Amino acid sequence: MTATSAAKAPTGAWGLRLRGFREFSRRFMRRRDGVVGLAILVFFTLMALFPQLFVGPLETAITASGKGLESPNLNHILGTDELGRDMLNLTIHGARVSMAIGLLATIITVLVGALIGIVSGFVGGLTDSSLMRVTDFFLVLPTFVLAIILAPIILDIVGVDAEIAGLRATLVVIVIVIGITSWASTARVIRSQTLSVKERMFVDRARVIGSGGRHIMRIHVLPNVMNLIVANTVLVFAGAVFTETTLSFIGLGDPFLPSWGQLLYAAEAAGAPGLGAWWYIAPPATCVVLVILGFTLVGNALDDLLNPKSGVRR
Amino acid sequence: MGGHYLLRRLVQAFLTIIAIVILNFFLFRMMPGSPERILLRNPHLTAETIAAARARWGLDDPMPVQLVKYLVATAQGDLGYSFQYRGQPVSEVIGIRFWPTIILVGIAEVIAIVAGLALGAYSGWRRGGRVDKVGNGASLILYSMPYFVIGMPLIIIFAAELGWFPTSGMLTPGMSYASPLDQLLDFLRHLVLPLVTVSLGLIGGYSILMRSSIIETRTEDYVTTARAKGLDENRIVRQHAFPNALLPTVTIIAINLGYVVAGVLTAEIIFNWPGLGTLTYQALSVRDFPVLQGVFLILSICVVFANLGADLLYGVLDPRVRS
Repeated sequence: MTATSAAKAPTGAWGLRLRGFREFSRRFMRRRDGVVGLAILVFFTLMALFPQLFVGPLETAITASGKGLESPNLNHILGTDELGRDMLNLTIHGARVSMAIGLLATIITVLVGALIGIVSGFVGGLTDSSLMRVTDFFLVLPTFVLAIILAPIILDIVGVDAEIAGLRATLVVIVIVIGITSWASTARVIRSQTLSVKERMFVDRARVIGSGGRHIMRIHVLPNVMNLIVANTVLVFAGAVFTETTLSFIGLGDPFLPSWGQLLYAAEAAGAPGLGAWWYIAPPATCVVLVILGFTLVGNALDDLLNPKSGVRR
Repeated sequence: MGGHYLLRRLVQAFLTIIAIVILNFFLFRMMPGSPERILLRNPHLTAETIAAARARWGLDDPMPVQLVKYLVATAQGDLGYSFQYRGQPVSEVIGIRFWPTIILVGIAEVIAIVAGLALGAYSGWRRGGRVDKVGNGASLILYSMPYFVIGMPLIIIFAAELGWFPTSGMLTPGMSYASPLDQLLDFLRHLVLPLVTVSLGLIGGYSILMRSSIIETRTEDYVTTARAKGLDENRIVRQHAFPNALLPTVTIIAINLGYVVAGVLTAEIIFNWPGLGTLTYQALSVRDFPVLQGVFLILSICVVFANLGADLLYGVLDPRVRS
């Protein structure tokens, strides 16, 4: 067999993985809802990565290009806010802030959730029962209200204008707060899958040849719960964008880096709903709903395809 | 229901509440100089009130003693003093704002559970039909909308443009009523839009849950048996599929109550509904920490009790849990 033909018919572990991925994408592409969700997400990812493709730099109160609260017209196709900033400009730049916070919060949530889930399920015993007590506690708590208290407390400690790792403190605090308050359901899902993986033959084999717990968790358990982690990550992302929007809406966002939630907060503060200024509300609101919908659609499709428990349904 | 099961759940709920109070204790003390600073920073408190509170909370005692005193004080309803309400006790401030929220959430929950479960059950049973296509799509979109995103367009259309309903509040300010009935009507007019907002926000999620739950029952043996017996579709759904699909749905609805509360808070803000949501919003903007913590405590306790209630209800619905 020559090198070129080997590349065409891949073999070995990586080949298997590649073939699995191709098979998986074929199945995913047959899910219409998943594909629609994916298209939405690709669009908004482009918007978040390259806002300059669509509009100029973010307008501020000083560089505002219009007068206050203009309804949509030829110069400002989505109208302006109360400071005269172009709504199209603000909305497109909002994508980066909303998606970036969502992404960071998701990473924290999934890392913490997966770690606790795998350790709890694999180690078992007292570790498991105490970790699950804590998890259940966080599941019962109205975590959103906890987030409302935690955010100002942490801001009080670090200071509003501080910078953490080059990011503005307000944004970092929102990320951390979402992470702290939403890891619990991920931990639950991963733990139950870990419990079933643990009983499989290859784990026993690894143990017999003398592998330590940490090694088994990394090499044998993690790859086998990876599917579930991926499906869960997408759903967590939807939740993170939702929570970020809500937290910003009640005034915990950063006015200098407006996310969509922050724009809606500004609209509410400027009295836009009572004034009938729909153009101030509709653009950010539509984006938020589309992004959350996109993540939910993709997440549900992935969950059906990857989660052994829900797979039977379809 | 087994007394043992009941007792175990009650103890669990009690321990959860204790844990929440302890969490509250440490949250309060995470900030530099708190709770000392919070008492002193409050301009509305007299020196005597501060001295009394210091003694009651044991602020000069070591930490463990403080914790015990804090637990005792909280159990007696002593939640500290609000900044924005001129040093009024937090428990009183919350007490006034508690009922508007409960009324709003309670009625909205009932509407959403009835409508959401009915829609979900129908579309799941007739999967792929016209109701399913429209209903499930609408449910997914509603599910993706934060409550204030649902409510803001409602205000623009029905309050600002059409003028059918008031934009904010619970009663028209400065109005004198000829009879209690007039007052009730005024209240109801104010209630409509917030209620529609919260109900719509809930219906999407409930309908999605019920739909997937009922789809799973369609292939169960007892449904096949019922069909083989020649029962008509209506009876199969009502007596066999629906009750079984209800079980997982009830649990998830109860678990998600904490998130419902969060959504309701934001709906209250846009309608200026004088409940815990607007209270939280105001407290947040002036950093009124005692009020924030009080709201957190009260809502947590509500959610714990709701969960407990759902567990007990589950025991009634599903005989297998009791044994």
